[in-house]
Amino acid sequence: MSSQNIFILVFVAFCIWYLSNQAGRLDRLHHRIDVAELALHGQLLRRGGIVAELAAVPGIDPALSALWGQAAHEVLILSEVASPARTQVEDELSEILVMTLGDQDEVNEIRSIALAASLLDELAQVSTRIQMSHQFHTDAVRDCLEIREQFLVRFCHLAGFAKPPVRFALADEFPEFLFN
Amino acid sequence: MRIGIVCPYSWDIPGGVSAHVNDLAQALIRMGHYVSVLAPAEFDELLPDFVVSTGKPRAVKYNGSTARLSFGPLVARKVSKWIEEGEFDVLHVHEPLSPSLSVLACWAANGPIVATWHSAMDRSRMMLTLSKLGQTAMEKVSARIAVSEAARATLIKHVGGDAVVIPNGVDVSSFTKATPMFGWPGQNMSIVFLGRGDEPRKGLEILVDAYTQIRKIFPNVRLLIAGPGEPADTLEKLSKVDRSSVTVLGMIAPQDKPSVLASGTIYVAPNTGGESFGIVLLEAMASGTPVVASDLEAFKRVLDFGRAGITFENENSDDLAKVVCQLLGDEAKRTELIVQARLRAAEFDWNVVANEIVNVYESVRVPGVKVEPDLTGQFMGRLARGRITPEPRGEL
Repeated sequence: MSSQNIFILVFVAFCIWYLSNQAGRLDRLHHRIDVAELALHGQLLRRGGIVAELAAVPGIDPALSALWGQAAHEVLILSEVASPARTQVEDELSEILVMTLGDQDEVNEIRSIALAASLLDELAQVSTRIQMSHQFHTDAVRDCLEIREQFLVRFCHLAGFAKPPVRFALADEFPEFLFN
Repeated sequence: MRIGIVCPYSWDIPGGVSAHVNDLAQALIRMGHYVSVLAPAEFDELLPDFVVSTGKPRAVKYNGSTARLSFGPLVARKVSKWIEEGEFDVLHVHEPLSPSLSVLACWAANGPIVATWHSAMDRSRMMLTLSKLGQTAMEKVSARIAVSEAARATLIKHVGGDAVVIPNGVDVSSFTKATPMFGWPGQNMSIVFLGRGDEPRKGLEILVDAYTQIRKIFPNVRLLIAGPGEPADTLEKLSKVDRSSVTVLGMIAPQDKPSVLASGTIYVAPNTGGESFGIVLLEAMASGTPVVASDLEAFKRVLDFGRAGITFENENSDDLAKVVCQLLGDEAKRTELIVQARLRAAEFDWNVVANEIVNVYESVRVPGVKVEPDLTGQFMGRLARGRITPEPRGEL
């Protein structure tokens, strides 16, 4: 075999290795996004559950109860994971929480109801987790898009049939008085 | 939850990262989680039962000091086996950029992976090479934790992306019940210094310069120096009388640290730089010893910007002497500092810190999805692998 042939062979082998490597990276990143999305979804549903429970606590102001119950219901009946509809109901719930728990005195008053105190603690915890989960999901999407946008990756169709990942545009707003 | 933790440094030799992993594992076990730690270790019989050894580590020069690390195909097989048998919900790797077990674990696993950055390095070229090498490993990491703002800054600068800052923990309970060494601080007051006596950035020299001035105002004050390294050269500057009031303990066992810290009227940390967090400050605070420290960013944060301890101008021994003398002469201030410092230290108790770390675990894991061996490294594996489709499930 002439040296030229060997050179071409090595070059082709390198190309195959490189492309396969990039495809592997993309596959792993898509997988990471899937898991991140499910983790975030799980935490969001958990928040919906906690708020629904909070709405049902005896002794809570009926107006609050109705607001929370309705918003939590919207969250819990939606089956889609990451979608504009999901973003909308979650943001509405966040907004209602910020509005109703936006005052230290109000939070203290609700805390004085026996069953509500531990639920508020759980709500604070799940809010922290949602914030982090959201951050990690956004990180994963960014890492993935960075590779998907490379010329060779697009040209060789390395992403296959995997849909381009989308950022989950949640408003990360949580009532700060919960955390004390 | 089933948690697998990977410690890249040898378990036999006490060090920051392995101590962190040990304390974290114990705190998690107290909380009721199942924990398995994978670490290089030479002596199997001395290991706690939650540690799995990968065998004797090799000495590698890394980040300016010698680190004992495990690497190579044999170790890689052990890592895969550990992951396969562990059925972890979350895999937590430490210091993932060092060429070590942590990178091997990232390569060998698939699923929710959390990584913690400990060091604040500023060696751009090294970080760049390492981050290219570890890129495939990094891309699998779902959540990143930095132990300090400095470590986070290093991460953002060299690897990109962001991290959640969760500080090191302190086992507050073992320090609060500390009793001073016999005869300390005694009738007269004393100053404690802890750290390498022969390493300039620990700042012993600044303390010694200040000590002469302090002795002029408080002639009976004593100085206690503990830590590895011979401080004799630095102490030569002192007059004979002053020198005789200094006690050098040398290296101390970890279990003696609380009582050494409690033996001082004041604890001084004159470090000139390179500190990313300052765990020993918190330990002194938990022991009930008022802290005077140089005004490094990390120290100011730990001392809650003056509320839980006093700072002096970095590398200025005159200022140090002034601050220490003021504090030695003001008992009310010392009492107030002790109260504030104890409250502050409690915020960094391992139980609190471990809880925050569990929050990170929970924010990446999905019930039903386990960390599983990644076969893409093997040719047949790449062809055979199917994608796992977890059931989405909310916990109501």
